[in-house]
Amino acid sequence: MKLKIKLPNSLFILPVCLVGCLFLLQTTTLYAQDTTGVAKQQTAPLKARPVKNTFDGTMIIDDQTVIVPVKGTFEFDIMHRFGTFGNGYQDLDGLFAPANIRLAVNYAPINNLYLGLGLSKTDMLWDGNAKYAIIKQTKGASPVSVTYFGDMAYDTRLDGDHSLFPHTTDRLTSFNEIIIARKFSDKFSLQVAPTLSHQNSVNGYYTKLDSTGSKVFEEMRHDQFGIAVAGRFKITESTSFIFDYDQPITQEPTKNPHPNVALGFEFTTSGHTFQVFMGNYTMLNPQHNNLYNQNNPFSYTDANGTRVKGGQFCIGFNISRLWNF
Amino acid sequence: MKRKIILTGAVLAVCIMSFAFTTIQQPKPWPVPDKFAKIANPVKSNAESISAGKALWNQHCASCHGKKGLGDGSKAAQLKTTPQDMTLAAFQSQSDGSLYYKIAEGRDDMPSFKKKIPDAEDIWNLVNVVRTFKK
Repeated sequence: MKLKIKLPNSLFILPVCLVGCLFLLQTTTLYAQDTTGVAKQQTAPLKARPVKNTFDGTMIIDDQTVIVPVKGTFEFDIMHRFGTFGNGYQDLDGLFAPANIRLAVNYAPINNLYLGLGLSKTDMLWDGNAKYAIIKQTKGASPVSVTYFGDMAYDTRLDGDHSLFPHTTDRLTSFNEIIIARKFSDKFSLQVAPTLSHQNSVNGYYTKLDSTGSKVFEEMRHDQFGIAVAGRFKITESTSFIFDYDQPITQEPTKNPHPNVALGFEFTTSGHTFQVFMGNYTMLNPQHNNLYNQNNPFSYTDANGTRVKGGQFCIGFNISRLWNF
Repeated sequence: MKRKIILTGAVLAVCIMSFAFTTIQQPKPWPVPDKFAKIANPVKSNAESISAGKALWNQHCASCHGKKGLGDGSKAAQLKTTPQDMTLAAFQSQSDGSLYYKIAEGRDDMPSFKKKIPDAEDIWNLVNVVRTFKK
C-alpha cells in the first residue's frame, strides 16, 4: 500500500517566504573613493606670529582679559552673582538670595577693537565700554600682550526728588586700565592690570560753614587706583582653573573698599565659554566693584581694634557666546 | 504539487528581482573645486603645528568628529550626516587642499570655519592633525 503523507501548505510556503524576506531586506553598501591625489608638502615660511589664545575668553571672572576677537565677532554675555555665604540653609548659602545679573553684547567692528554695551540689575546700571589690543605677544618681538580697556557707567535708578543725584552727571562713573599679559606656556597665562576708577559725585558734609569760610569732608575720593591680577591654568584642553585678585590701593577716608579674591573653573567649547567661581565682587561693573565693594574676603582687626568679619564670598558664573559674521 | 512548485518559483523570482535592484549606498559626494584641491599645504607637519592643531581640534571639531576622527563625538548621533571615519584610507586619499576647503567652507551639518578660524595657518594645522588619524 502506497503511503500518502499530506503536508500542510503553510509548512512549505512559510519557510520560502521567510527566506524571500531575507533577500528583500538585504542591502549592499559600496563605498566610493575620492580620487584626488595627495598634495606635496612644502616647508612653512619662517614668520613671527602673535601667540594665540593667551586666554580663552574676553573676560576672566570680574576682569577683562587682553583678548580682542577678530573683526566681525559678536558676543553675548550673561553674568550672574548670587548672594553671599553666611545664611546657611535659609537661602542655600546665597544661591537663593537676591542676585545681580548683567546682560551685555560686544562687537569687533575692526581688528583689535572691541565695543560693548551692558545693563546690570543693581542700580539699573548701563555701561558702555571699549577695548583695544595695542601690542600682541610675539616671539622675538614682544614678550607680553598689552590691551587698553575703558568703561563708562550710568546709574538709571529713579530719583524724583534728586536726593541721590542732584545733577545728571552725578550718575556717571568711569574706569580705565592697561592690561599686560603673558602666555608662559600652553597651559599657563597671567595678566596684571593697573586700574583707575572714577566717580563723579561723592557724599560729604560740611565740617565748617561760617562767615570765615567752609570746609567739606568727602567720605570718599573721586579717583581710586587699584591693581588687578588674573590668570588661568589649563587642566585639560577645554577646562581651566582660573583666578582673579583685585586690590584697591587708594586709601579712602571712609568706606574703604575691600579686595576681591576669586577662584573658579572655565569650560570652553567652539562657541561658548562658561566660568563658574566664587569671589567677593557682586556689582558686575569694574569701577563700582573697585569703589564700593564691602564684601570682605578675610577677617582682620582694624586700626581701632575692631574685628572685621571676613568670608563674604558669593558663587557666580559668566556665560559668553560668540558668533562670527 | 504543481501549484506549490509554481508558487515557490514565483516567490524566488520576486526575491531575485528585488536583489537585482538593490541601491548601492555611499557617502554623499562632496566635490571640491580643482583650484582648491590642488593647493599644497604650506605648513610642515611638525610638533608645533600638531600641537596648535590639536588645541583647535579639541575645541572646534572633537564634539562631532571625536577625539581621533572616528566620527564618534558626543554630538555625532544628533547629526543628519554621519561624520566619516577619518582613519580609513578612503578618507585619507584626498588632498590637503581638499581637506582645507571642506574645513573652511563646510556643508550641511558641518559648519564653515573660515570666519571662526580666520588664520589660514590654523586650518592647515588642522589638516596636519587630520593626517595623524591615518591608520
